[in-house]
Amino acid sequence: MTEATPAEPGGRPTIRARIERVLDHNDDTRSLFLAPLGDGRVRFVPGQFISILIPLAEEIRTRPYTIASSPEEAGPIEICFNRVSGGRGVAWLFERQRGDVLAFTGPFGTFTLERAPAAEAVFIAEGTAIAPIRPMIRRAIASSGRAMITLLYAAKSERHLLFRAEFEELARRDLRFKFDTIVAPAQTLYGRMLEAAEQRWVKADDDRSRVFYVCGIGPGVIAIRNLLRGAGYERRAVHYEQW
Amino acid sequence: MAKLRIVFENGAPEQVIEFDPAKAPFHHDGRPGSILDVMLGHKLHLEHACGGNCACTTCHVIVKQGANKLSEATEQENDMLDKAPGLTATSRLGCQAVVEDPEAEITVLIPRFTINVVSEAAEE
Repeated sequence: MTEATPAEPGGRPTIRARIERVLDHNDDTRSLFLAPLGDGRVRFVPGQFISILIPLAEEIRTRPYTIASSPEEAGPIEICFNRVSGGRGVAWLFERQRGDVLAFTGPFGTFTLERAPAAEAVFIAEGTAIAPIRPMIRRAIASSGRAMITLLYAAKSERHLLFRAEFEELARRDLRFKFDTIVAPAQTLYGRMLEAAEQRWVKADDDRSRVFYVCGIGPGVIAIRNLLRGAGYERRAVHYEQW
Repeated sequence: MAKLRIVFENGAPEQVIEFDPAKAPFHHDGRPGSILDVMLGHKLHLEHACGGNCACTTCHVIVKQGANKLSEATEQENDMLDKAPGLTATSRLGCQAVVEDPEAEITVLIPRFTINVVSEAAEE
């Protein structure tokens, strides 16, 4: 059983977990690997997040962090985040060290993928928003038939393309999986993503059977959603999560 | 002053908040002046697992009165609500529905499956 205690304001059980490992992807992006106390596992669906309880001086604040590992993995769950100006929750997380214990509720979230769609699946992500997409892609590849699976991953620098080697290896091993990247300055990044989406999945052909999963930060996500839905893709075939 | 009446399906005592929408934000989660913002700012807990970012449905409320006094739901909110258990025609996300009219009288029902309690701070 995972060690859970009824606690926090919402009344949901709180899971306590020990930080097993700290991994710095680059200067401002980090992964924590969380092992629940007790002998249980966190049951989740690819794409879901946990809400970590951040003990600040004046209150306990809950902040969501997407699980970047896969449910099929036996080890600790991985969360991935970057420094945000003025972000007190993430500042607190950056202060945590291996062996520290933290608490969370969840998992939550409906931006999920339980099995690959019958049609081509297209994943579009930016920066740390690759976190929900990573386990989704693993699940999609494991459960897909012949349909293609494409990842378009954008970041402000090469070193901000997280899990790049892993995706490249997946693309080498499985011909159904295509992995493309965009590296551009932050201020032009979503414009480049929008342009690429329009060229590849709107102007290139009349196929409107694809299913999209878009994750990122800010209004650029909504612009991509609007582009795809406006081009004739079914509303429910364009899944997105905007942070 | 606007008035927000909160009815809990789980039988918890009804709460009424009187507030000036012009003074929003009252807290730091959800859109300023949203039902979530108003409740948290007045020591009433409404679950919001995603931090009030329109990325989950844990702040789902059902508007019983004054729906036309709230901000219009965006496509993003409606997309999210589609996935909410117990969806009704007047469902809203507490983090997104903003009370705009200073004379508004709003009544919301917190569904039983949305776990809510008065926060510890309010009980002290």
